[in-house]
Amino acid sequence: MFDIHPDSTFIHTFSDRLEKSENLCTWEQFKLAYRASQFQSISDFDGLLALEHLPHVTFMPHQVEAAKTAIHEMNGRAILADEVGLGKTLEAGLILKEYMIRGMAKKILILTPASLVNQWVQELDQKFHIQAASPRKKHAAWKDWDITVTSIDMAKRENHRETILSIPYDLIIIDEAHKLKNHQTRNYQFVQSLKKTYCLLLTATPIQNKLSDLFNLVSILKPGYLGHLTDFKKKYRGSQNTEHIHSLVGRVMIRNRRQDTGLNHSSRVVAHERLNFTDEEQQWYEKLQTFKENSHAFTWLTLAKEFCSSREACFMSLKEIAKKTTEENKAIITEMIKQLEQLPHHAKAMRMVELIKEKPEKFIVFTEYRATQFYLQWFLQQHGISSVPFSGKFNKSKRDWMKQLFKNQAQVMIATEAGAEGINLQFCHNMINYDLPWNPMRLEQRIGRIHRFGQERDVHIYNFAINNTIEEHIMSMLYEKIDVFRHAVGDLDHILEKIPGGSFENQVQSILEEAESAGEVNIKMKNLVSYVEHTVNERKESS
Amino acid sequence: MNPTLYRDFAQDFFTLHQCKIIEESSHHFKVKLTSDIDEEIMNRPFYWHYMKKMNRSGDPATLSFHLSQSENHEGIYLHAGTPKLHTLYRTAMKKGKMTRLYEATDVPNHHEALTPWFAINVLLHYRGKQTRNEHLALGLNLINGSIIPSFTESIWSESFKATVTDYTFPMTPIINLRSAYKRIEGYIESYVSRKTHEWAQQSIEQLKEEVTLLKSFYESGDMEEEQYQKEYDQLKERYEPRIIMEVINGGLFYLSGQTNAKLFKQLG
Repeated sequence: MFDIHPDSTFIHTFSDRLEKSENLCTWEQFKLAYRASQFQSISDFDGLLALEHLPHVTFMPHQVEAAKTAIHEMNGRAILADEVGLGKTLEAGLILKEYMIRGMAKKILILTPASLVNQWVQELDQKFHIQAASPRKKHAAWKDWDITVTSIDMAKRENHRETILSIPYDLIIIDEAHKLKNHQTRNYQFVQSLKKTYCLLLTATPIQNKLSDLFNLVSILKPGYLGHLTDFKKKYRGSQNTEHIHSLVGRVMIRNRRQDTGLNHSSRVVAHERLNFTDEEQQWYEKLQTFKENSHAFTWLTLAKEFCSSREACFMSLKEIAKKTTEENKAIITEMIKQLEQLPHHAKAMRMVELIKEKPEKFIVFTEYRATQFYLQWFLQQHGISSVPFSGKFNKSKRDWMKQLFKNQAQVMIATEAGAEGINLQFCHNMINYDLPWNPMRLEQRIGRIHRFGQERDVHIYNFAINNTIEEHIMSMLYEKIDVFRHAVGDLDHILEKIPGGSFENQVQSILEEAESAGEVNIKMKNLVSYVEHTVNERKESS
Repeated sequence: MNPTLYRDFAQDFFTLHQCKIIEESSHHFKVKLTSDIDEEIMNRPFYWHYMKKMNRSGDPATLSFHLSQSENHEGIYLHAGTPKLHTLYRTAMKKGKMTRLYEATDVPNHHEALTPWFAINVLLHYRGKQTRNEHLALGLNLINGSIIPSFTESIWSESFKATVTDYTFPMTPIINLRSAYKRIEGYIESYVSRKTHEWAQQSIEQLKEEVTLLKSFYESGDMEEEQYQKEYDQLKERYEPRIIMEVINGGLFYLSGQTNAKLFKQLG
């Protein structure tokens, strides 16, 4: 029924040592070695030994359950697809630790987006007592390192590729695996050619657009499990058969939703702050309308959006436009710039300082514009409030450094949108959305930086918008109406992406560009919202 | 597991290797390492390399261990997963791997013959769809070939020395070590075969099921042969049941007549 693999080296070394009478131990040492080995006994096939090894980490029941299922029922090949912020990384770490304790995994490769490499290395060390290496520019000892964390891009480089493909890994973990949804990409093919015994795919969005995304993910774990792609597509083109596919996929995928996990002890307090421009500011905003009337709708939209953020952001664009436009227009723009410079400090900036002064706690402020980021930093400094900037464009070490500064010294972090992925700031409990993105899911990602697994306090979210501007529409439509649906269905992003005639964001943009009056904007926005509402309801009924 | 077991082990490890326990209470202890042990467990090779090169003695570290978790004290929290504890396990197993020992009897019984035994402690790793392991501590009498389970435990409280005492003499083994080792392997095989193996049965079924699936996919032409072979090998690695024998340590033990008799009584 099975083979017994003998220990082939012991007896030779033993005979040798006896003959030479060297390296022989005392009775006490012999007994101590025996005792040490008893600490490593594993008496049961089932269960998680790792829990006893990690008393300093509190795992949630759904995480423990996920690890058990992945190991004992799915036999080590699984998609971990919990919603954002439920701790997929902890689940993966727990599984990894268990495999190491049980001696089933020694050689391990973890592939993550480059921006998350350091975070993985740190978490493995601090939470799991696992020492992982990650390659630097020149130095990469793939064969010597037992546990390696790196990006797919690094791994598939010409000088590394062959070495990595030749190593039989015991366990491969792929973070943000939804990026592998297309089987024709080189990344997908690279992952498929890796030698692996166990394999975990981590993603919060296992289906981004099509069911075939899921097919391709499952094929990495179990080729043939869902049949061929062509048959699969034929079979599931209509949606009648989805029940069958869900039951099949359920045997390789674990998906916990926030509402199932009881992870609500930290709640969100969202405040929509509607602010007013000063009269001077409002007048200037009205003047901008002339751009729209002169059939520069797109320019107008950009400028209006920027002006709602800061004079500085708008100033940069105006200067650019002045360079390219006709003499006549140039005069108008120069005049506008002059007036712009006379305006008082921005209404939002004043409110921000007020809020921060009221509450001596840490704040993260999100803006869409770099110019605004600079302005706010300067403005806070004028009020004696320390702040650090943050952007996804910073390199790894700068990002880590800024995060560290924010944690230990500065009261405020001012981040641009690009910074929303991949930093965790659970030590911060307040967020100001200084500018609102036009896609509610992007806001969700921002909030996920602080309201995530491990957050023990309530988080306060302040959304800023200025009355009588485009921001008012965005606020009332997106954040007050659509947000209500968010709780009804888990994957609103999915719906928003699939609106006919372009994504939700594009729709909003064209409404704002094309509508001739505030009334028209309102009507069109309402239509859009009711379309979303309709889809949501349809979805609810069918499921 | 009872936390004092970890403490006992760690303290025994340090005292055995001449490290001094300089502070001790019911919930913590502090130990001053020797240079040798520091080099062995603290993972700072460059420091020691430098010290030796400069002909200096170096300053071995002091470690403090705590039995409970708290932010208030510096030091190492001792529990099942403490990395330092695992370093101690590894070091202990490395240092206590092989031996040859003679029983030290306190009764000066002239010319007592000591019987040679081959002691061997192994871990059997059951590996298939799931895993577990099992300890075996076997002793083989090198004169008559009988094998005793729990050998190491049976002689646990006797005392042994590296050299033979004046009053005793060791008998020359009749069975040589290599064939003794073969016999041990044979013993393990028959020991294992007497048990039921649901785990192996389940693993085989799972393997069959997944191989069938993979084959039908391959035969439908959606898969290159190379890819198929790789997936097939991976399935075997993942499910094929096997038992891996790992020797923890082993030794040649010369036992007094009295201890010998005790062992046989146990055997019944």
